[in-house]
Order: sequence, then C-alpha cells, then structure tokens
Amino acid sequence: MKPALALLVFAILSVTAYAQSYRAPRTPAGQPDLQGIWQAVNTAVWNIQDHSASLGVPAGQGIVDGNEIPYRQEALAKRRENYRNRATEDPERRCFMVGTPRILYMPYPFQIVQTRDQIAIISEYVHTVRSIRLTGQHPAGSVQWWMGDSRARWEGETLVVDVRNFTDQTWFDRSGNYHSDALHVVERFTRTSPDHIQYEATIEDPKTFTRPWKISMPLYRRVETNVQLLEYECQAYLEAERDARR
Amino acid sequence: MSCGSVVRVMLLAAIVAGGWRSVVIAQQASGAAIPSLPTRPDSVCPDDNPIAVRACGRERANTFTPPKTPDGKPDFSGFWGGSQVAHENLEAHVRTPDDNGGPSVIVDPPDGKVPIQPWAEVKRLENRARYIDQNAQCFQSGVPRHLYMGTYQFLQTPAYLVQLSEETNAVRIIALDGRPHVGKDIVLWQGDSRGHFEGNTLVVETTNQNGMPRLDQQGHFYTDAATVTERFTMFDPNTILYEATIDDPLVYTRPFTIAIGLHRNTRQGYELWEESCYEGESNATHLLNLGYRNYPGFSAKDAQIAKEAYERSRTR
Amino acid sequence: MKARHHVAIVALMLVIRLMPTHAHHSLSVEFDTDKTVTLTGTITEMKWSNPHGWLYIDVKDAQGDIQKWAVEFASPNQLYRRGWRREDLPVNASVVVNGYRSRDNSARISATDVKLPDGRTLFAGNNEKQ
Repeated sequence: MKPALALLVFAILSVTAYAQSYRAPRTPAGQPDLQGIWQAVNTAVWNIQDHSASLGVPAGQGIVDGNEIPYRQEALAKRRENYRNRATEDPERRCFMVGTPRILYMPYPFQIVQTRDQIAIISEYVHTVRSIRLTGQHPAGSVQWWMGDSRARWEGETLVVDVRNFTDQTWFDRSGNYHSDALHVVERFTRTSPDHIQYEATIEDPKTFTRPWKISMPLYRRVETNVQLLEYECQAYLEAERDARR
Repeated sequence: MSCGSVVRVMLLAAIVAGGWRSVVIAQQASGAAIPSLPTRPDSVCPDDNPIAVRACGRERANTFTPPKTPDGKPDFSGFWGGSQVAHENLEAHVRTPDDNGGPSVIVDPPDGKVPIQPWAEVKRLENRARYIDQNAQCFQSGVPRHLYMGTYQFLQTPAYLVQLSEETNAVRIIALDGRPHVGKDIVLWQGDSRGHFEGNTLVVETTNQNGMPRLDQQGHFYTDAATVTERFTMFDPNTILYEATIDDPLVYTRPFTIAIGLHRNTRQGYELWEESCYEGESNATHLLNLGYRNYPGFSAKDAQIAKEAYERSRTR
Repeated sequence: MKARHHVAIVALMLVIRLMPTHAHHSLSVEFDTDKTVTLTGTITEMKWSNPHGWLYIDVKDAQGDIQKWAVEFASPNQLYRRGWRREDLPVNASVVVNGYRSRDNSARISATDVKLPDGRTLFAGNNEKQ
C-alpha cells in the first residue's frame, strides 16, 4: 500500500476508533460521567421526521431511523387529526409536561446530575425532572406518569434506560406524532467526546405502531463560562395571560 | 387476597421479624397495606418549638459528626420531610378548621413576629384577600418556602446540591463550585443559589428571586431585592436544623430568621414520584370563580412606590 | 416500656405525616368543614389527577332522579403509595362516600373516606386531621 494511502486509512480508522471508544471521565462512584448542561440542536421538537420550512418553523432533517414511523392504520388517522388540531391540542401549548423522549429535544437546556444510584435530568422547561433510577423496579399495576418511570443500568460506557408507565397525553413533537399508554422506550446515552453525548431510543407501542422504531441524535454540551440552567415557567406566564383577559 | 388478610399476614410477618416499626405501619389507615409512605424517626431535640430546636440543634451540632461525601463534605443526600406549620403562617397561630396551628417559626426577632413595615402590612392583608396562593396554582414557592412542608430528596455532588420536591416536581439547584451569581436582570421563581461549607454547616446565599411566591398563606411577601441566607446543619443522623434569614429592607424593618427541622425519611426503598400538578389542576379554576386572582408579583420598584404612597397618605 | 413508647410516638408521627403535603389553599376556603354529608352512589369515572383525584358518582335522590356529584380525593401518589390502583375504583361500583360540602353549593364534596361494597374503606387523604 502506498504510504500516503496508508496514512489516510490510518487517519480514518483513528477518528472512527476515537468516536467509538471514547472513555469518559469517571464520577466519584466510578461511573462514566454524564454530568453537565446539555442541549439538542435540531428541529425535532417541530417534527421528528424530515420536514420543510413554513412560517416560523425551520426545515429539518429528522431523527427517525429510516424516516418512517410505522403507524397502525387506525392510528394514522389520529396522527392526522392531531396535526390539524396542533395549535390547541399539543400539550406544550398548555404548558404541560411533554413526556419522554421529547423533553430531551425541547429547545431548552437540561442539566444532568449524577449519583451512584440515581441520575436526575432537569430541564429548564417547566422545571421538568426525570429521576432515572439504578435501583428498584417499575411500579406494578396501572401507574401512569407524564414522563414515565425510568430504570437504568450501565453497559460499559453506555447508560441504558428502560422507561414505562406512561400516560397517553403526550406527543413526540409539535406535529402530532403521538403514542398510547402502552408506550415503552429504551434509551442509550453514550459519551462520544468531551462535549457530546450520542442519544438513541427505541420506541415501542403495539397499540399505535406495527413494530418498534428508533430515533438518534447528538446532545451538545453547553460550554459557555458559568452557563447554568434558568427557568421557563410556562404555566405562570399562561395563567397571567388568562388573568389579563378576565 | 382481601385487605384484612393482607393486614394479618403483615402483622404476623412483623411479629416474626420483631420489627416494631412495621407493626405500627401495618396498623395504619383502615387496614390497607401501605408499601411506601415516609417513616420519620424521633429527633434528639424537641420538635415542636423552633426556638428550642435551634438552640438544641446548634448545641448538638458541636459534637455530632455528620455522614461525609468522598471529598469530605457533610453529606445531605437522602430523603427529607418538612412540616405544615410555616406554610400556614410564619407567626404563631391557633388550630382552626383551616389550619393545624403551631408556634411561630421566627426565632429572630425573639418575639416571633414578622418585622414588617407598616405600608407592607397593608399590602399583606390585600394579598391574603385577593390572590391565589402559588401553591394552589402548582407554581414553585421560592426560597425559603419551597423547603417548608414537602417530601424532598437531596442529591449532592461536589459541584451541586439539588433539592427535589415531590410537590409540583419543584427543584432547586444550589451551585457549590464558587461561581458568581447570574446578572441582576434575570429573576427566577427559585432564585439563584450559591453554597459553601463552614465546618459542618452548608451556608447558601440566594438572590435573584422574582417576588412572585409569598412566604406563607397569610400573604407575607418579598421583592426581587431580597437576599435569603440559609444554614443547613445536621445535628443528629436524622435531622437537619434549617435556618433561613430573609433580608428585604424595603418590606421589613430588619432581617428576620426562621428555623425548621427537616426530618429524614428512613423508609427503605422510598422514591419521589412524579406529581403532574398543573396538568390536572382544577382547584385554581374554582378559586378564580370565587373571585381570587393570580398574584402579579412585587418588585423592588413596586415596593418603593407603594411605600412612598403610604407615607404620603399618613402625613395628611 | 421503651419499645411501646416508641411505637406510640411513631404511630402519632405517622398519623401526622399522613397528612397531605400538598395542602395548597386551605380546605375550608372551598368546603364547609361543619357540614358533613354522606352520599351513596355509583361510580361513573375516577380521574387520577393532581393535586386531587376526582371520583364522579351518580346519586339517586328521594324522587329517584340521578344527581351527578364530584368527590375530591388526595393526590394519585398518596393513593398509589397506599397500594390503590385504578382497578380498585371501577365504573359501576357502588360506594358510600363521606365528606364536606362545597361552599358554593355545587355538587362537590371533599372526601374523608369511601367505602366499597366489599367493606374496604379508602382513606381519601384530604383532611389533615385524620
């Protein structure tokens, strides 16, 4: 092999190898450290699939693998109805919690705080908190929470999170992609560099979809000096507006 | 399995295990099995009198070694619970159908009264008559009120102490890494908190509050100029002495300090669960129908104007 | 004996700690705590919402007409922690509810307890004095 070509091959392999085998610094408990302030930089909140721009809505390349969401036939009709009614029916319009995984691609930063048994993901959006537990089980029986119940384990460098116990009230985006209370999400968080987490999630909901499907996106560290989480207390603003109209 | 037989099995198991705590739990609440309610052990200091708790707690703290983090700091991690008393009224108040009643939580000034300026007392009465408590709207309650009466989990790392509440999923993040406060043009419901350790006490300074939450259900309020200084001191394995000094010179004649015991919840496997408060809120609608309104907040500028107007009215 | 003393204290403290920690606006602003009512009715819906769960029941009055009542409960988490699930309050179950009447004279009560046909009593979790 010519030296220049060999060098090129070596360089490509090194970059790939670096991305695949980045070893994150460890927390005091010896786990890969996911802590910091992070934010998704994409347009998934508008539409998790590929979409063109419209007034006030940027164009975007979707986060859905294969760009297809395998709705059941009857579920597709509901998705279309959601789209038509999105100005009022999207839970975000009422300042409600937006569910999992949408909270991770909302246009607000979130902070990860990590202890040995628990990882808290705190979003600026209506102070949403996801407590991801490395202990215990999903609660038995029909317990339903907007953000679901998250139980996790470490697989090497990757945090694998199993999320169940959802309501049927949240949407995946502002376009009306939705789910039932049978939703089951399996997430994978992997540090790939000092300032990136690669996020993947498998979405499963036999009442709504014909098969599981996947989303993936990078999460970017907010690297500004002294960056911190602020607040978006949507509910308070909405109530003040309603008061003004009374 | 019927409820009665569940209770019998639990009692038997408890007797066999010899655990008195589980026996008590099995006897609770009309025979239903209670898998995960809080468990609150006794404190070494008397629990019902804030002045006594403060004196006793401070003395005990001199000889008590709290659990420590790997980097040698007192470790406040775990589950904690507050008390209803201050939520109702910072000052001493009797039991009514409305209130559980209780002593004043104000330890300084020693007379237990809020040192409120005359103009602000007028505003306080207006607040109480006109506005929905932020708690009823599922909004956050600011500092110190978010720590009065909730079900808490504290998560502590070298750089942050995070205080989670089950109630309305409230959260406060205290930075421990010495960074400066945010700029004064940013105001926040939970304020902006910076903490450092003095021996075994965590001292937290909170500024940049937005003046929206009230300090109790009697309409006691503060402005965005307030500074709140808190001291967290564990004095036995299961109790934190929590002291908070509120300094708002436009509203109060001097800083005043409250003291509350935060009690550890020792229930094994206890978890904070999601409370989707605002998503289900209907109480506020009812209160709005009764004529109450949302509190518009009160800035330092509002306070200056109100104070001057009051003083002008008094000189006529 | 010390163990019994501890049991008594912890029992008392547990009773106190069973009070709703989300007692936002005072109960008696909305409900008349001097007026206890007892309703017997059929469940039409149970809403597991925060800060209060709501049970909707049809109550037959003396003339045999159906009145629709709304019954306020503690929060879902407080009920879940007592082991209660949605399946325990099914539509069409017959219940006896005790509670305080709403001050605005609407068909609403704040429940103190609910008795199911099999004899179990659901502590509604609202009233901090229980």
